Amino acid sequence: MAGYDDFSNRRTGWVQTGAATAALVLSVALVAWMALLVLRGVDDLSTANSDNVQWSLAQADVEFLRFRIALRDAEEDPTALESVRRRFDVFYSRMATIESGEMYRAMRDDPQFRGPRTRVRDFLSESVPFIDSPDADLRASLPLLAERAEQVNEDVRSFSLAALTAYAGISDDRREGVMQLLAYLGIVLAVLFVALAMVAFTLFRLFRLAQGRAHQVESAAGRMRTIVETSPNAIVVFDKSGAIREFNPAAERMFGYTRAEARGRSAMHLLLPHDEAEAQRHGAFAFAEQLRRPRLEERHFEVTVRSRDGRLFPAEFAIDRSEAGLPLYVAYIRDISRRKNDEAELREARDRALAGERVKSEFLAVMSHEMRTPLNGLLGTMQLLHDQPLSPRQADLLERMQASGELLLGLVNDVLDLAKFEAGKMKAESEPFSITQLLDGVMHTAGPVAESYGNTLSWQWVGAPRDGVEGDMRRLRHVLLNLVGNAAKFTRQGEIEVEVECLPGAESMVEFRVSDSGIGIAEEDLERVFNDFETLDSSYARETGGTGLGLGIARRFVKLMGGEIGAESEPGEGSLFWFRVPLAPTQAVVERLVEAWSAPEDTGAPLDVLLVEDNEINRFIVREMLDSAGHSVVEAENGREGVDQAARHRFDVILMDISMPIMDGTEAVQHIRGGDGASRNTPIVALTAHALPEERARFHRLGMEACLNKPVERQKLLATLRAAAAGENAETPAVEAAPASEPLIDDTVLAHFHRNVPQEAGARLLARFFDEMDDAVITLAKSGPDAADLAATAHKCAGSCGTFGAEAMRAALIRIEARIKRGERPAQGDLAALQPLWNRSRAELEARMAAA
Amino acid sequence: MSLLARPFLTVFTTLVLLVAPPVAAQEALPMPEGEPLLTVTGEISVTNQDEAAVFDRAMLESMETVTFTTSTIWTEGPQTFTGVPLSELMEAVGATGSSMKATAINDYAVDIPREDWVQDGPILAYLNDGEEMPVRDKGPLWVVYPYDLNASYQSEVIYSRSIWQLDRIVVVE
Repeated sequence: MAGYDDFSNRRTGWVQTGAATAALVLSVALVAWMALLVLRGVDDLSTANSDNVQWSLAQADVEFLRFRIALRDAEEDPTALESVRRRFDVFYSRMATIESGEMYRAMRDDPQFRGPRTRVRDFLSESVPFIDSPDADLRASLPLLAERAEQVNEDVRSFSLAALTAYAGISDDRREGVMQLLAYLGIVLAVLFVALAMVAFTLFRLFRLAQGRAHQVESAAGRMRTIVETSPNAIVVFDKSGAIREFNPAAERMFGYTRAEARGRSAMHLLLPHDEAEAQRHGAFAFAEQLRRPRLEERHFEVTVRSRDGRLFPAEFAIDRSEAGLPLYVAYIRDISRRKNDEAELREARDRALAGERVKSEFLAVMSHEMRTPLNGLLGTMQLLHDQPLSPRQADLLERMQASGELLLGLVNDVLDLAKFEAGKMKAESEPFSITQLLDGVMHTAGPVAESYGNTLSWQWVGAPRDGVEGDMRRLRHVLLNLVGNAAKFTRQGEIEVEVECLPGAESMVEFRVSDSGIGIAEEDLERVFNDFETLDSSYARETGGTGLGLGIARRFVKLMGGEIGAESEPGEGSLFWFRVPLAPTQAVVERLVEAWSAPEDTGAPLDVLLVEDNEINRFIVREMLDSAGHSVVEAENGREGVDQAARHRFDVILMDISMPIMDGTEAVQHIRGGDGASRNTPIVALTAHALPEERARFHRLGMEACLNKPVERQKLLATLRAAAAGENAETPAVEAAPASEPLIDDTVLAHFHRNVPQEAGARLLARFFDEMDDAVITLAKSGPDAADLAATAHKCAGSCGTFGAEAMRAALIRIEARIKRGERPAQGDLAALQPLWNRSRAELEARMAAA
Repeated sequence: MSLLARPFLTVFTTLVLLVAPPVAAQEALPMPEGEPLLTVTGEISVTNQDEAAVFDRAMLESMETVTFTTSTIWTEGPQTFTGVPLSELMEAVGATGSSMKATAINDYAVDIPREDWVQDGPILAYLNDGEEMPVRDKGPLWVVYPYDLNASYQSEVIYSRSIWQLDRIVVVE
């Protein structure tokens, strides 16, 4: 609206100005014309071209009468002749003047005047001879003259009257002329007045406009002043020479200079410390130096500034050049020292928190190692004590010690799991496993406890079974054991049943239900059971003990796996705990370990075992376990020693601890596998307290066939050793043995590959891998053991196989490569064996791809 | 003739100053020998007949004379007049008054104030176009202003002061 008003005002202003200009021009023209008229009039009046004509004409009559009187007087008094002549002359002169005078021209042309004039002139010319004659003659002719004068008297009279009439007309004309002039004058004055009025009005409007604008400008300036003065940021305006022009109150407060002091001083030298000013002259303030407007990215920056009292503090500048009129730089300056301090404090706090977290993690790791190791020592020793001849009393005491020890181990494990989960360090793992084997394992583990309370324990599929799946087997097992364990604890002489059902739907949900015929849980307690440290006050609970963490951890694990958990119960009739988690079906099933857990008591031939373990207690326990199973054991206290032993003697299997002084397990394995010792091809089983899937994969790549978690369980240890040594015991060639110790396909690696490579690209890469390998295997099989680039080809192919998890193939290739590098010739048989191995690997990979 | 053209009218007026042997002021006037043409009375200090100064043609002709050409409203065409400047005349009679009352043979009378008695002002003409003027032609003496020479002389008042057939002057206070 304001804009429109403005425009309208401006247009009105233009129109008015134009009208005023036109009026002025018109007025000037009128005045000029008027001046002309008036000048002419004035001239007319000032140069009078007439005598007092009427008087002159009347005088003619008078003078004629005087002449006649003189004539009459002369008839009586002869001496008066001179008077007759004088009066005649005077009259003559008058008439001559009227005849010839310029002023009487108009009158002379009047036809009315012509007759009398002619007659008077005739009278005069006829009378002259008598007047000019001698006195006697004149006297004699006096009567004649008198008579003639009598005759012409009427003409003189009428002539003067006619003249008067004519002059009256002339006078009228002149008067009319004057009146017309005055009328013109009046019109011009009127026009002039209107024009002046318009000009005055225009000027008034312009004045009002100017006044309004001035007011607007003033109020805008006032607003601007208020904005500038109330700004919490310092506002400094400086010109192109850098001299400060404006310095607002916030700037006064920030820098300690008054406006009067700051004005005219150089902004950079006043507000920046000397070295900073020099540095920034070509830095942040380069635009001012180059007398140009700052570019967009140059308008915000942070520099150190200095206040009057010498305080240096960081300030944030927002600066630009005002392009209106004189170019001025306007800078908004904010003191950001507090922000900087806050940032620094936050950073420090964060660093402290991170450091604390690290300390906590380290503490947990120490707990994990330092607490569980002696505990395992205790439990293992007790287990060994069982095999000794004991009195019934001793056996009973030992039983209780063992129960307490296991409870304590469970507690430690629970607390550590909880801490890990709360620290956000826990991630769901993904590995292929068999549900059947998992459940069998759980039955096996929990069976003794259930049986001890007189319960029967069983599991079954509901609906179509789905055996091979991918998921976090370890945690799933934990949850199942917890639920089954709870069921066993709260049931006496009853049944505990586990049902597994694959739910329909895209998420591949699998539901596990653990039902018992126990005491059940009250409705109001059902919600609480999943809380931490929640123990229901029942005689059973007191009897069995527990931290109350079990179900809380189970709930967390299920949530971690992306599932849910719940419970239903009827007090006195039993409880049903259920949970469902997504478990994608897969073909890859690592059967070895699961089998190992549930393997029957070892009955195979005695094995020659090398045990590399730095912890004396653990070494003792494992040795005892192996001894009791009839195996022979050679001990080594660290990796170096282990490598030496392995070089000297060919063992059936090597148990290798990972964390050791002097030389750790992984390095030792590399030495054994890379060396030419007697046991370089012996299967190696890793012993570790912290085996993550990635680490397992790494152990596999290093040439370890299996992995055992500490604390070591006797059955599992024996089963794993037996499985690992199986290939060697079959006395097949090395390559043939490989599948036994190395899976054909490492699903972990393959899954990793699938996770990290888009499906399309993955398929392409796989196709290329197949082509490469097809060619390479043919080349390797055909070429003799002495071929030049055998090692290089084997190495390259091994790398490719590693990427796609073709583990057995990779191991075979590495063995060939290793032999060549040791300067040995690879066996022709090894090379020939590559083809069938590759065929199987390829078939297996294609099957996995089709399944995925 | 156009009213407008008047101020721009070419003036053919010429002013000829004939420097005659100057008549010393306060010099006694000679006695008139011819027919007296003009009698000056009133506030004057120089007289030649009782209280009056009487002039005949010869006396006037012996005085300083001025000749100029001008048109008049009473005549046709430019006229050349020769005569004694009024200022000269008034000096000759030692006039002390502020005005003169001039009277004609036809008894016309008019006052001519002292401010008109100036150089380049009116003259007491006794020659028109080199000839003596008879009474029948506004003679023998005619007060003529240089109308064309000075536009301010083209006014009713001046015209009324241009008295012809002059024969008496009374200088008044």
